[in-house]
Amino acid sequence: MAVYVIRRLIAVIPVMLVVATVSFVLIRLAPGDPASVIAGPYASAEDIAQMQRALGLDQPLPVQLVKWWGRLARGDLGDSIFLRRPVIEAILERLEPTLLLTAWSMLVAVLVGIPVGVISARHHNTVLDQSFMALALLGLSVPNFLLGLLMILCFGVWLGWLPVAGYAALETGLWPNLRSLIMPALALGLVQSALIARITRSSMLDVLREQYILSGRSKGLSERTVIYKHALKNAIIPTLTVIGITFALLVGGAVVIETVFNIPGLGRLIISAVLRRDYPVVQGVVLLIAVTYTAINLLVDLAYLAIDPRIRFR
Amino acid sequence: MKRLILAALALSLLATPALAQDTPRMGGVLKAAMIGEPPSLDLHWTTAVITQQITWHIYETLFTYDKNLQPIPMLADSHTVTDGGRRYTITLRKNVKFHNGKEMTSADVVPSLQRWGKMSTTGKALWKGVEAVEAKDPYTVVIHLKEPSGSLLFGLGSPNNGAAIYPKDVMAAAGEGQIKEFIGTGPYRFVEHKPDRHIKLVRFKEYAVRSEPADGGYGGKRVAYFDEILFIPVPDEAVRLAGVETGEYHYAQTIKADQYDRVKSLPALEPQVVKPYGWITAVPNHKQGVMANKKVRQAFLAALDMEPIMSAAIGNKAFYRLEGALFYPEQAAFHSTSGVTGYSQKNPTKAKALLAEAGYKGEPVRWITTKEYDWMYNAALVAKQQMEAAGFVVDLQVLDWATLVQRRNKPELYDIFSTGFTLGADPAIATSIQCNWPGWWCNEEKERLVTEMLKETDPKKRKAQIERVQAIFYDDVGRVKFGDYFTFQVTRKEMRGFRPQPFLYFWNAWLAK
Repeated sequence: MAVYVIRRLIAVIPVMLVVATVSFVLIRLAPGDPASVIAGPYASAEDIAQMQRALGLDQPLPVQLVKWWGRLARGDLGDSIFLRRPVIEAILERLEPTLLLTAWSMLVAVLVGIPVGVISARHHNTVLDQSFMALALLGLSVPNFLLGLLMILCFGVWLGWLPVAGYAALETGLWPNLRSLIMPALALGLVQSALIARITRSSMLDVLREQYILSGRSKGLSERTVIYKHALKNAIIPTLTVIGITFALLVGGAVVIETVFNIPGLGRLIISAVLRRDYPVVQGVVLLIAVTYTAINLLVDLAYLAIDPRIRFR
Repeated sequence: MKRLILAALALSLLATPALAQDTPRMGGVLKAAMIGEPPSLDLHWTTAVITQQITWHIYETLFTYDKNLQPIPMLADSHTVTDGGRRYTITLRKNVKFHNGKEMTSADVVPSLQRWGKMSTTGKALWKGVEAVEAKDPYTVVIHLKEPSGSLLFGLGSPNNGAAIYPKDVMAAAGEGQIKEFIGTGPYRFVEHKPDRHIKLVRFKEYAVRSEPADGGYGGKRVAYFDEILFIPVPDEAVRLAGVETGEYHYAQTIKADQYDRVKSLPALEPQVVKPYGWITAVPNHKQGVMANKKVRQAFLAALDMEPIMSAAIGNKAFYRLEGALFYPEQAAFHSTSGVTGYSQKNPTKAKALLAEAGYKGEPVRWITTKEYDWMYNAALVAKQQMEAAGFVVDLQVLDWATLVQRRNKPELYDIFSTGFTLGADPAIATSIQCNWPGWWCNEEKERLVTEMLKETDPKKRKAQIERVQAIFYDDVGRVKFGDYFTFQVTRKEMRGFRPQPFLYFWNAWLAK
């Protein structure tokens, strides 16, 4: 087990190096540059060139790349061009809203998705099942920003129950914080719950057809025990994989939802950094997301080991 | 009798709040929903409009503009012009404090002006004519010019990329880079910038208020009624509007004109129209490619019908006007329709004939535009159809704004680009007629007139020069002006004293209870 974990951790290093280099090259391959954004719409070409020199962007790309590797090796992500602070500081400032948003969305996705999936499977081919699945299809098809805007209109503007946008930091209190995250978490989580529900349902259906379920039922086990103790435990593995993938989708979704709800999180950070070509920030955030994604994958794999002994003994 | 007293009482109850609301009141936190984040908080450093809108609550300039957009003193007390218009002696106001508590003197003003002349786009244009700036005594600054200038005071008063006066230590600490401390003499002082959350300013208690009343322009008395201003970046327009509707913000910037009727019907909101705001324009590439041919540019102009273009770009008729002049009717000193000959010709037949004369053989016209400003894209889309009807082949390329502003500096990459020009107070330094700017509209006669205009101090002669520049603008097709547009901003009813102006500001506005 320990060897397995260490082996996986070592494998992460080349992945990170590739991510660091690719993100560096890709953002610079994109047309546009930070100097012309800073100089503004009425600046002349000479003004922009002056700005490039001031920002050190006139150096050749390989020189800049080697400098970037060098800084990375020292654990330094560099300084943001627009935010006048180190990238790591900018990221840490944005971590709280995004972490909370992702956690709440994940909770929504799991708490809605798994029960819906299980109930649908149990009442396979009934009206209940079909209406749940129709809803899930709708959920998968509706873009999360649209759901978000509809919720703003309904709960924010018409009913006035929740703030239309903005983020109340944890330090302002738990309730204000939660209030500012309810709509974004629902917008983000409900869409993901549709995916989880569909996967749970289909893998439950597979498991319910197994011989041991039949034998469980024939030896007189209650339906509850059959479903929750025997079937769900075996059906959960594919769902777990999907939850892992969901995390990645949530980070992607957070980019959109944070913009819609005006939440100052990592999503907003990367969007504005890309639009303004704030190279160091884009590189830093991409790297951070890659690290997190790899870590989550590792955790999911370890969870398999814990849940399914067959994987452990292979 | 009892009834009468009751009625009087009721009336007085009704009357008191109305009265109370109309008298300015100190206090409150103004929450302004802005379209985004400023790229920098150094006003010398960028021409970005949002930087000016936020920072000129913090920094002030020696001059500013009155309601007719003519320069009037701000940090300056007075000025005299001697030596045949070559020497400007500017007396500074006394006891004007920076937010760090130090008094502003010529020791701060001279390096500020020098830095501005070296860094800013407007400053560089003016500094070509400046020989030296010197501090004669703590309250007197002398600017020596090579030749007389009709533009100097306009330039020193320009809000955008303006000649903000910074403390000398702040500039010394910045070196060649951006300033790191945001200190000025303005009515509000900078407290913090939390990116994507807010920029927080608070009232500067020791602000040196000018004694003249506010004249409806930018000068005179500036009073900081709010305890605090929060500039909150809210990039999504629907959210800005929803937020001002529910009371989370007091002010929402740039709302689409098609929301005007709805906003007007909502009792809590006040629609604000900024008129004029700017022009919508297409800039042909004079340096290289198919548009370098004057006949082709003339064909482009001849093919256009501006009404459908402006209607597609802006929507609501109350938010645009078909106006071909280079300066706005609101700028009485510079506005003239003389020379505006080729505006909205709607003549595809003439365009076809011009194209044939030019020997145009269907080379694709590469037009770069962006959807980040949807009016640019919508205008381009309609203009493209009109051009195609006249025989042009148009390749409309939609880019993001950051790419567009970079590519437009490379003449080999495009034939036309979309942009807007916001109000420029002085004709000689207006971006719309500069040669040294993407599009490279350099015309011998026009350059000569612009140089003359820079030196000209007589308003009448300047107007005559403008009329000639306008005639060249239409004959040579320097840029293609589609029309003037206005912007739509929304405030809540409890926000009082706010004036919608081309250069946004929040001093002299207050929050009624």
